Amino acid sequence: MRELLRRVFKLTIPIAAIAVAAGCGGGSSSSGGSSGGGTPAAGTPQKGGTLTILASSAFGVADPAQNYTLQQWALLIDTHDGLVQFKRVGGSEGTQIVPDLAEEIPQPTDGGKTYTFQIRKGIKFSDGTTMKPSDFVTTFERQFTVPGPTSFYSGIVGADKCTAKSCDLSQGVVADDNAYTLTIHLTASDPEFLDKLALPFAYVVPGNTTPKLTGNNVPPGTGPYMWQSYDPNKEAVLVRNPNFKVWNPDAQPEGYPDKIVEKYGLQVSDEVTAVENGQADVVFAGDTIPSDRLNELGTQYASQTHVNALTADWYFALNTKRPPFDNLQARQAINYAFDRKAAVQLAGGSSLAVPSCQILPPNFPGYQEYCPYTANPAANGAGPWTAPDIAKAKQLVQQSGTAGQSVVVNTDGPDKPFGEQMVADLNKIGYKAKLVVLAGSIQYPFLQNSKNLDKWNVGWSAWYQDYPAPSDFLNVLLGCGSIHPNSDASPNIAEFCDQGIQSKMDKALTTGVTDPDAANQLWAEVDHEVTDQAPWVNMYNPKQIDFLSKRVKGYQWSPQWYILYDQLWLEQ
Amino acid sequence: MGTFIIRRILWTILVMFVITVLVFLIFFETPGVDPARQIAGRNPSASALKEIRHQFGLDRPVPVRYVIMMKKLFVTRDLVSYSNQGQSVVPEIVSAAPATLSLVVGAAIIWVVMAIVMGVAAAVLRGTVFDPLLMILALIGISMPVFWLGEVMNLFTQHQFHDSFIFSWVPGLGYTPLTQDPLLWFEGLVIPWITLSVLYIGLYARVLRASVLEVQNEDYVRTARAKGLSERQVLVRHTLRTSMITFVSLFGLDFGVLVAGGVLLTEVVFGIHGVGFLTYQSLTNLDLPVIMATVVYGAFFIVLANAVVDIAYAWLDPRIRLA
Amino acid sequence: MAEVALEPQAGTPEQGPDRVAGRSPWALALRRLGRNRLALASLVLFVVIVATSFAAPLYADHVAHTDPFVNDVNGTTIVNGKKVPLMQQGGGVLKLGVTPIGPTWDIRHYFLGSDTQGRDVAARMLYGGRSSLEIGIGSALIACLIATVLALIAGFYSGLVDALLSRLMDVIWAFPVYLLAICIATVLLTAPNGLEVGPIHVVASSLWLPTLIIGLIYVPYVYRPVRGSVLSVAEKEFVEAAVAQGASNRRLIFSEILPNVITVVIVLLPLMIATTILTEAALSFLGVGVQPPGASWGTIIADGQNLLYTRPWVAIAPGIMIVLTVLALNVLGDGIRDALDPRAKLRVEG
Repeated sequence: MRELLRRVFKLTIPIAAIAVAAGCGGGSSSSGGSSGGGTPAAGTPQKGGTLTILASSAFGVADPAQNYTLQQWALLIDTHDGLVQFKRVGGSEGTQIVPDLAEEIPQPTDGGKTYTFQIRKGIKFSDGTTMKPSDFVTTFERQFTVPGPTSFYSGIVGADKCTAKSCDLSQGVVADDNAYTLTIHLTASDPEFLDKLALPFAYVVPGNTTPKLTGNNVPPGTGPYMWQSYDPNKEAVLVRNPNFKVWNPDAQPEGYPDKIVEKYGLQVSDEVTAVENGQADVVFAGDTIPSDRLNELGTQYASQTHVNALTADWYFALNTKRPPFDNLQARQAINYAFDRKAAVQLAGGSSLAVPSCQILPPNFPGYQEYCPYTANPAANGAGPWTAPDIAKAKQLVQQSGTAGQSVVVNTDGPDKPFGEQMVADLNKIGYKAKLVVLAGSIQYPFLQNSKNLDKWNVGWSAWYQDYPAPSDFLNVLLGCGSIHPNSDASPNIAEFCDQGIQSKMDKALTTGVTDPDAANQLWAEVDHEVTDQAPWVNMYNPKQIDFLSKRVKGYQWSPQWYILYDQLWLEQ
Repeated sequence: MGTFIIRRILWTILVMFVITVLVFLIFFETPGVDPARQIAGRNPSASALKEIRHQFGLDRPVPVRYVIMMKKLFVTRDLVSYSNQGQSVVPEIVSAAPATLSLVVGAAIIWVVMAIVMGVAAAVLRGTVFDPLLMILALIGISMPVFWLGEVMNLFTQHQFHDSFIFSWVPGLGYTPLTQDPLLWFEGLVIPWITLSVLYIGLYARVLRASVLEVQNEDYVRTARAKGLSERQVLVRHTLRTSMITFVSLFGLDFGVLVAGGVLLTEVVFGIHGVGFLTYQSLTNLDLPVIMATVVYGAFFIVLANAVVDIAYAWLDPRIRLA
Repeated sequence: MAEVALEPQAGTPEQGPDRVAGRSPWALALRRLGRNRLALASLVLFVVIVATSFAAPLYADHVAHTDPFVNDVNGTTIVNGKKVPLMQQGGGVLKLGVTPIGPTWDIRHYFLGSDTQGRDVAARMLYGGRSSLEIGIGSALIACLIATVLALIAGFYSGLVDALLSRLMDVIWAFPVYLLAICIATVLLTAPNGLEVGPIHVVASSLWLPTLIIGLIYVPYVYRPVRGSVLSVAEKEFVEAAVAQGASNRRLIFSEILPNVITVVIVLLPLMIATTILTEAALSFLGVGVQPPGASWGTIIADGQNLLYTRPWVAIAPGIMIVLTVLALNVLGDGIRDALDPRAKLRVEG
């Protein structure tokens, strides 16, 4: 029950995944033979039936302008469309951006500041009205009038003047309902703008949608399904949208089930039992399956269980503003000392987590394996983590002159085992560590606020990225611009700011607009340089379990949206 | 009687006022909890936070904020949860209440029947080995933490013996509304009912036994016996009736406390999404509007139970009625 | 739910007949208690539980050779002379999850098995018992002390003071006791600095925090019977006689009323400890009691929740300890009541 907060599934859009399709996985997902999110199973896909998903709790408010959970997004992609979309397939192809409501992906003009989209004609919302370019103006303005994560679209001209009361983007989002074009003007070029347009926040809703929060009503969309009902204490029901016909199967294909139902309120353990018994079809992947059920899934039900690596970090941030970890050697020392194998065990074993020393996760743009903080490191650190090096760590602590200092380790409730491991390892190399556990809902804002820097030295956190770009880890979590003093929204928890590294990140960002490959090489260098500066103790990259009923076929795992519900089909 | 009722109502209002103020101060003035941050979701901009603060009146003085919240709770009834803006608090509690009521009413029936049987049996069998045996059983019931008993019950009924015929009928954890499937409603609640009632069976059996033994020596019972009534008539008509006075007043209070959210632990262990569970969840999320609403709901039931007990007391006790 | 351990008739002791017998009432009570074999057995059981719990460091250091407060997920132990890992990787193709080792029933090596963090459950249970008992006894003492002081004030100065105090107690009473404790604990644990009242500073990890919370919420439960006895004693002839002789208030409280009130408190104390131990367990089970890496019986049951179906002993064993302790205290409490209050005995024996 204390896992309640964990169920507010943080979003994750990893770039590439290695799926262990049942039977060909050979045990560990890094064996890698079967990339591509599962091979479509034998048999002919057929339409029909009701797909039932079980989730322990609902995803909160249902307004697409506000909801920031992958749980709703997994359903919203089946009911709504954006200008562009991540390709709707499993495997690494799923990170490609394809045109959706736009006829094609335009080249930005005006130095990357202007995008002009030709909008498809003849597409209708589920309520029967025709979708037109001006609907997008409302959609983008709602980003600001509905309290939500406005920062994604704050680069649009006029956005800086928007408030929750009123927003006028007529200068930044220009619609021509006759020519069916939509022009978006930015204040500065943004290499990640198309990624942001592919997020459900930017999915079109009718122009007459209220500027206020729609509560638990989802406004009509253009996808193959529509929301029949949503009750966070009971269920969400999606039925076929009678007005839908396929225009680009890469972006929005036809779905197989006639109805998709997500039911709320069961204990995860009972969800597992229900799917085992065929009473339901999917255990929502954001629910943490109790550890005593994992073994039976891996043995008795292996053919119905799928494991995929996530591009996410579970880490400890080191407070670089206060002793002892304002000292580089001290930071490196705990990186050498921390037992990542123990962390992996606590996370459910080596098939559910992979130890890591660096910031970027595997299979990510700019990722080049790097781990200097291990016993017997590979040449230039280009190898995996194998074991802690306590002797080296103790030596560094001595050199840093910080031995014997007291250290406060801060975690939230469900993650206290990691905190306890950290305390033990800190004590091992000569610090006096103690643990402070905060309630899950306040721990993250607490760490972010610089007012609290005196109260912790090592803080647990986790990051699942928003879209597949290295800056979403390096610049967002460790850039100088991500430090906002005295704010609860200051994601650079470690308060790490290195001017040299920052200018390299800025260069990579600019390069990215024109030359992504060169930019990725720069990001790889940034990743290694940041790792050398040790602002974090990264623990591991997690993996995720999908558990399906026997009758479900056609499993595909998109690195973007995870399991693709509408592409599953039910054996009758 | 009129002044009695008016005084009761005034007292109720006072208690509710004090409790809401207390809860408001405790949670709203907690350092580290920023409702605006909670409302905004992940990574909001500083200006968005400021905007939300203003929009929700969080930048107003504390008494004003208290009045706004009370108005939204009682007058306009449109108070919404901080962690889910789409969720109105009042309907949320209304929809959770049937689960709690089902749990408590069922358990109450079991515990009243069992406690009367055990208590009277022990009193009647005094002097035999059964009396101390029953009382030790009662004490064991009182000594068990309800959440632990629930866990052990789950272990047996959901896992260990779930495949055997004894418990194969037990459905998975969770609550099925009576209107949706009466059989499943019943099956799903049997184990929680038993778990919750064990403690109270023990307690009430002890209380009842003691008061039966006490009443048996009262003059009017002796008189009744002298009049030639049979032992059974004496027991049922006089002894039991008088003994029930303590029993009923205790029952009223315990019932009120349980409906008010005292079943929190049982609901958490069995995954029953009633008011106690809601309270627990809102406390974990520090979702103030929901905490406030559940607490007001709880205080209301307790004060109500107190009033009912007072009236029942007057009705049951002939001495009070005469006076 | 917890108020139940206190019964209304755990009430006012009478002094009459014993005085006539010419012996001190305390000696008589002790003699009566000595004849109650069940109560004596309970006392022995309680003492044994307390002693073993306080011997936890001895067990951990010299018998089990383990540190139950440090993760050991990569560790090993010895079963039947063979070295085995504490955590076993899941099987099959996918090898999902890790399962901690179950009970070895070998007192030197993970007697009750390991929890999900590779720690010795048996050693943690002993340490946990120490915390649970400390909090239980401490908070019961706090509740009794505060309630007695308040009841003396209320009973003695009656009138407005009494009315105010009693109404205050009623308000607290009108709140489910667990909810009250959980609310306060949640807030205090949320405050990153812990509790700061003037110069007193209690950090969240301190056992004082749950002790104080539990102690305070049970004040009304002790206050009511104690106030009742203060009032009844204050009306007794010997007090009236003392007043007539011109005794001062202070002398009256300390020499006449307090000794009589103490009797009530002594009857209540074991029952209160039983109640507070149950409350502590509930708070810790919900994660708002004893904080990690500390342990109490409640936190270990919570740890065992995720292992319930594979390693049930992690949750069951500490629960049995709670039941035994609380049962012993309840039987003992009954015994003490009967011994100090022969009329109550009389009532029951008919």
